[in-house]
Amino acid sequence: MSAVLLIEDDDRIRLSLAMALEDEGYETHAVATAEEGLEMQRRQPADAVLVDLMLPGMDGFECIRQLRRTDDVPVIVVSARDDTHDIVAGLEAGADDYVIKPVAVKELAARLRAMRRRGRAATAAATPAMTVLTFGDLEIRPEAGEVRLHGDPVAVTRTEFRLLCELAEHPGQVLSRQQLLSRVWEYEIGDERLVDVHVGRLRHKIEDNTGRPRHLVTVRGLGYKLQP
Amino acid sequence: MRRAGLRTRVSAAFAIGALALSAGVTFVSYELISNTLFRERERAAVRATYFDATVVNAGLAGSDPEVGELLQALDIGADRYVLLYRQGQWYSRSADASAGSAVPDALQQMAATGQAGAQRIRRDSEAALVVAVPVQGEAVFYEIVSLGELERTLQLLALVLTAVAIMVAAGGAAVGWYVTRHALRPLAAVADAASGIAEGDLDTRLDPDAEPELARLTESFNHMADELSRRLQRDRRFAADVSHELRSPLQTLSAAVSVLNRRKDKLDERSAAAIGLIADEVARFQALVDDLIELARSDQPVHREPVDIGLLAGRALRDRGLPVDLVEVVPGTPVDWPIDRRRVEQALGNLLDNAVRYGGGPVAVRIGPEFLEVDDAGPGVPAESRPTIFDRFVRGPAANSRGGGDGTGLGLAIVAEHAAAHGGKVMLLDRPGGGARFRMELPQAESE
Repeated sequence: MSAVLLIEDDDRIRLSLAMALEDEGYETHAVATAEEGLEMQRRQPADAVLVDLMLPGMDGFECIRQLRRTDDVPVIVVSARDDTHDIVAGLEAGADDYVIKPVAVKELAARLRAMRRRGRAATAAATPAMTVLTFGDLEIRPEAGEVRLHGDPVAVTRTEFRLLCELAEHPGQVLSRQQLLSRVWEYEIGDERLVDVHVGRLRHKIEDNTGRPRHLVTVRGLGYKLQP
Repeated sequence: MRRAGLRTRVSAAFAIGALALSAGVTFVSYELISNTLFRERERAAVRATYFDATVVNAGLAGSDPEVGELLQALDIGADRYVLLYRQGQWYSRSADASAGSAVPDALQQMAATGQAGAQRIRRDSEAALVVAVPVQGEAVFYEIVSLGELERTLQLLALVLTAVAIMVAAGGAAVGWYVTRHALRPLAAVADAASGIAEGDLDTRLDPDAEPELARLTESFNHMADELSRRLQRDRRFAADVSHELRSPLQTLSAAVSVLNRRKDKLDERSAAAIGLIADEVARFQALVDDLIELARSDQPVHREPVDIGLLAGRALRDRGLPVDLVEVVPGTPVDWPIDRRRVEQALGNLLDNAVRYGGGPVAVRIGPEFLEVDDAGPGVPAESRPTIFDRFVRGPAANSRGGGDGTGLGLAIVAEHAAAHGGKVMLLDRPGGGARFRMELPQAESE
């Protein structure tokens, strides 16, 4: 059974979502503030985090940033506001996905499962022969879940890693945002901002000059590709 | 009849004023000049006649003067003609004795009484002056002075003056046109600003220092624009707040209903039925909130990007469990359309839902250059429903219940808003062979 940390200040939402998630087979750690959530994650690490953006005290954005310092746990933003600004800011803070309230519990469970698969894909398919995908000074080891730049390990989240692997497995080939959404996030139709923000985050980690990316380049009107 | 424009009217008034003024000045000056010149000419003619008469008088002093020679001896120019009436006979410088007929009878009678006189006549279609001076021996000396040259001069003067009057009138019209253009230029700025605001640029303001005379207009215009943008912002904030306030309780409802739904089997039949009703209504409530928020935001600009329209249509059908082969592509239709993917997908989805709910299901989704059409199998839309079909909260009679109960009544209104946001429109046509055809036009480029 996997555990989910739910950070939600509205008592009724927290209670009902916790019950519904438990019905779906998740052990739920439900807390009302970001501070409690961070503390809970330190003591009893969950496999995924659901976080509201509007929280008393520390807000959801800061909460995600603090989580990300030590943890690559998948984070899904659960927000009642659907303006672009909040969504992009949440993703830039380090969230892997977002859903807008009211979200059906089945849908939420599907998102959590997709993220779990993403995490496992990086480790479960370990074969004796370790593959190393090399793009100039960038090295990706899909089975080991490792990314190295100039030989030094780079800390990436599971979603960022899946995205990088997806691009690395098709060297020099342009993948559209919709293709990446369906392969990494398992969305049939989804918000392309997810891809854009994750690419931006990856560039901060693997590019020397994010303004003029060398490896992870944008192909205008088509999508992204990875090159040496 | 449409009223003439302000500029035309002002210019016409300027032209008429200038014409009246110049015509008055022309008329008065012509009269003055012509009177003065005629009087001058007449005075000169009379003086010359008296002088000639004195010569003739002296010549007649003899016992049997030779009248012909006497007249020949007079020093006269080409424009003067002399006659002498003596003892019932006319004498002139030539042999033409009938020349006397040019002298009016009234003047002859007056001269016969011994009075000198003058009268203006027309001779050979020219103005002329006849001066009569009685001389000795019951004779009268006449001199006919042609005024033709003077008349021609005055005609030329009249022509020149008329031309000047017309030019002045035209000048007046031009000044009127020019002046109104300058006077109306600030209004053109107001019109530009107003259409800018209508197109959604709410930051458009007029420069209050540009036209001091129009300060009041500028001020009230800017005030109106401020007020409008404040209201729009308030409405948008309200929509965002409402969305937040409604979505939070809906989240609780949705999660709690799913918990109950899971335990339906353990409940008695009535409770299970009640929970089924709540679950349906929560779903409908959620759809309603989503649609209302969509409508509240529909004035936001579209986010255009190249979209494979065939893929989009196929996905919309697949999502609804409809056969993908309903899609027909008109030959020559481009594959990628520069459109707002989310909004077009939603609009097409709403048309498909509409066809399922009220039209007996879609029978074709046609993709042509800059348009999408959805045909349904239903009975078509009755005439009385057509004018309001794209209005909010208007629902048709459900043809079947496959659509899962009533819609929100906002679906087609959202389609209309999305089409309008792309600079296009949606319309209801008749499908050949019965049924309704909804056609959504999506211009690929913003038409300015």
